[in-house]
Amino acid sequence: MALFVKARTFLRNLFWTQSVETDLDQEVRSHLEMLTDEKIRAGMSPQEAQRTARIELGGIEQVKEQVREQRLGNYLHAVLSDCRYGLRQLRKNPAFTAVTILTLALGIGATTAIFSVVYGVLLRPLPYPKPNQIVRLWEVSSEGTRMSFADPNFGDVRSQARSLQGLAEYGAWLQSVSGGSGPTRTMTGTVSRDFFSVMGVQPLLGRGFTGEDQRFGAAPTALVSYGYWRQYLGAAEELSAAHLKIDNKSFSVIGVLPPGFRFPDGADVWIPRELLPILPSRTAHNWDVVGRLRDGFTVGTSRAELSAIATQLQHQYGADIQLATVAVEPMREAMTGSVRPALVLLLIASGFLLLIACANVVNLMLAQAATREREVAIRAALGAEPGRLVRQFLTEALILALSGCALGVLTAAWGVDALLRIGSTMLPRLEGVAINFIVLSFSLGITLILAAGLGVFNALRASWNARNALHAASQKQTGSLRGHRLGQLLVLGQLATTLALLAGAGLLGRSLLRVLSVDPGFRTERVITMDLALPAAFDGPDKGPRVQFLSELMTRLRRIPGVEEVGGSSAMPLSTGVTSDGSYAVMNPRQISPRVRDLIRRSAEGSLDSDPALLKDMGAFFNEIFRNPANTGEADYAVVSEGYFRTLRIPLLRGRLFDDRDSFDAPHVALISSSLAKERWPNGDPLGRSLEFGNIDGDLRLLTVVGVVGDVREKSVEAPPRPTIYVNYRQRPQATRHFTVVLQTGADIRSVTLGARETLRELDASVPPHFSTLPQIFSAALETRRFSLILVGIFAGTALLLATAGIYGVTAYSVACRTREFGIRMALGATANEVLLLVLGVGALTTMVGVAIGIAGSFALTRTMQSLLFDVSPGDPITLVCVAVLLAGVSLMACWIPARRATLVDPMIALRYE
Amino acid sequence: MNSASTTLLQGTLDLLILKSLVAGDMHGLGVSRRIRQITGGTFDVKPGSLFPALHRMEEEGWISSSWGGSENNRRAKYYRLTKPGRKQLELETKRWGRISWAIAQALEAS
Repeated sequence: MALFVKARTFLRNLFWTQSVETDLDQEVRSHLEMLTDEKIRAGMSPQEAQRTARIELGGIEQVKEQVREQRLGNYLHAVLSDCRYGLRQLRKNPAFTAVTILTLALGIGATTAIFSVVYGVLLRPLPYPKPNQIVRLWEVSSEGTRMSFADPNFGDVRSQARSLQGLAEYGAWLQSVSGGSGPTRTMTGTVSRDFFSVMGVQPLLGRGFTGEDQRFGAAPTALVSYGYWRQYLGAAEELSAAHLKIDNKSFSVIGVLPPGFRFPDGADVWIPRELLPILPSRTAHNWDVVGRLRDGFTVGTSRAELSAIATQLQHQYGADIQLATVAVEPMREAMTGSVRPALVLLLIASGFLLLIACANVVNLMLAQAATREREVAIRAALGAEPGRLVRQFLTEALILALSGCALGVLTAAWGVDALLRIGSTMLPRLEGVAINFIVLSFSLGITLILAAGLGVFNALRASWNARNALHAASQKQTGSLRGHRLGQLLVLGQLATTLALLAGAGLLGRSLLRVLSVDPGFRTERVITMDLALPAAFDGPDKGPRVQFLSELMTRLRRIPGVEEVGGSSAMPLSTGVTSDGSYAVMNPRQISPRVRDLIRRSAEGSLDSDPALLKDMGAFFNEIFRNPANTGEADYAVVSEGYFRTLRIPLLRGRLFDDRDSFDAPHVALISSSLAKERWPNGDPLGRSLEFGNIDGDLRLLTVVGVVGDVREKSVEAPPRPTIYVNYRQRPQATRHFTVVLQTGADIRSVTLGARETLRELDASVPPHFSTLPQIFSAALETRRFSLILVGIFAGTALLLATAGIYGVTAYSVACRTREFGIRMALGATANEVLLLVLGVGALTTMVGVAIGIAGSFALTRTMQSLLFDVSPGDPITLVCVAVLLAGVSLMACWIPARRATLVDPMIALRYE
Repeated sequence: MNSASTTLLQGTLDLLILKSLVAGDMHGLGVSRRIRQITGGTFDVKPGSLFPALHRMEEEGWISSSWGGSENNRRAKYYRLTKPGRKQLELETKRWGRISWAIAQALEAS
């Protein structure tokens, strides 16, 4: 019953406001009248009775307000009326409202868009059970280089580590996979025993790998991704008929993994690593490793334990091992480490933009303040409590900020799409980037903070000024002078922040220019690339056909109309695929023992897969020759045809390129890069020297150096060229699982590509090619750089615009406030130029101080960019001077316009003003 | 004794209003006068406290209101004690008895 009464009252208070209010008004008035009657009856004169009654009552409006505050639902009612009032205020100043909302939307939108990428890529937990337990591990050399794991080291760490509940080797390569439909280039993961338990993933359909599948020589089995199963296996529930042809072997599909699981590298097929032999070498760094921490262990404690194990292994194996310690890193960080600096920079930049936008909004509000001061004073005099006034300002700020937020989030949704388009190949984990609940909470959070800040600031300033606002209208000018000084200070901050952003953009731009001016050592013009994923050719019987296939392919491609040159390489520059590098040794052919000569012969004919004894002897041989550091070095290994150098215009500096002389049975030859020649034989002649580089392809025959070619930047445009040894595909076709054919053509790329695709299909229909062009690859290699430059550039440009608007606004406002003063000055004889300088002087001072602070502050931003810069220091004076001049120039221009207006003041009009 | 200086204990105002309405329906001024009368002039309730209290109590359902003519033919809002109001008065009276007894005990203790 009581509840019903309350609910009824509540609703009445809220919605029949009018009748409730009239009722209250009448009641209080009748009370006053009765009070007056009482006084008159007591003998007072009517006037005196009225006066006394009023004093006793204490003000009709005040009493009413007290009753209102007491009412049920009063709070909600007050909020509603605040909103109504706030909306009316904002409607009254449509220009102010629109500019404020747009400015806030810009800041909030930019921050939201960047945060959604930062969250999706860097912060979002991995979609696996207990994701924080999953870690990546690397061997670390004594020089601090991270390397993949060698089998025996992995085995030792796995059996000794107590901090990890599971540890697995894995690798992923593009393979030509033939399934239900035609052959596709498919990312194939090769994973060791504990892989799926470490990742915490179980097949959705069928079964996982068992011990029976995971042994050398087992019947080949494979798991497939949900997407592959739907697309290529017809989503068949029954898997027994499903087989995949990989590497000329037939794999039975035994299970389908749940949707979304594509680790590593977007894999679609997984096969047991145990099908491949375990290499005895402790320096054959072939496998990536992932592990899962045991409950109660952290990355730190695990790292300590593993480095102790590493130290002990190093002690035990000395020169036969490069492992000095083990790096452990949470998987999520390992996946995103390469883009973290760029994203963090962008987040900081968007935050700066937001701050600049806020400063503009505060300035707009300051300019508005004068009109509000009288209103606030009147409300305060009529009984509005200070808390109520603060609430009013908060409500208005909230309306503005929330509108800005809504508009900003809409803009961000569009912006995220654009971001994903320009960053698609560079950013990992893109599938999770969206404006989701977390991102929305984030932008709502900053909106509320902004609203609270703006509202409280406004209320404080208004109530401060309100005290004297009612006294005289002329107070307006002194009152707003304080606001003007604050505005000046805000502009200072804006200019400083803008300078930092401009400096950031400038440095990124200069870095990009520097990178573009680097000579990569090869030419990219008019070169088409054709990537092939071929079956392994390590076994003796496979080698001949591989040589034949490549020769035939390149010969036929050469015949396509418009193709001027054809070549091929197993290690294309700037490609993200597999690179092979390792240790080589300089040998003297005359000092080779008969035992070693016999081993070399066995290696040339035998097969590693079927001859464990050969594998063992080879391991012992490598340990022996690599023990002498004077004769060994590290180099990249590339299997090429001579056409590769001609197509990419890599110059031959000495000796000769490969040719038909270098047949399979002729003495094996090699070309070396100029940096290798300089490093190994600074004064001597490299031609005719013998190298052992058999640990890549298992063929121990010595390589005779027949030529020196120019250096090529292979890993990236930024990194210095690495020493490289090139072998001839006719003699060493083993390591050509990934082979890129390059075609130089002046003809239409599309028609040549079509011709090449057709040529390949005629020769071997089971190899699907992937086409690209070298300019495209080159441009993709610079994508992170371009991505951050574009965005920081946009932010800096927007900041410049906002800051310009800010200083323009403040100057214009001050000119408007001082119109009368200028009138007096000119009436007293000041020239137009003097007035101009008066206004410009203030602007120039603000600009100079702002720029100076900005230069000092820009180091804070640019230092975080260190890893994104190339050949430019974070404090690059040229960049700083350029952006400082730009900013100062634009800022002074913005001051000049209102300053000019000040000189046009007509003294007579100005003096009558107000 | 200066009546204004005697501040009302929290909750006591409700008790006094309810008690004064037992005598019959009356308007705000009447309630105020009645309270002054029954407390021997100790309490003089100002409109600024009286009206919020009356409205709050009406929202609680302890009193109800209606418009009617006053002694001098003025329209005035009359308040009446409701059934829940009487129950509340009983409750408050008991509570007040307990409190005043307890305070008296406390002050007599040596």
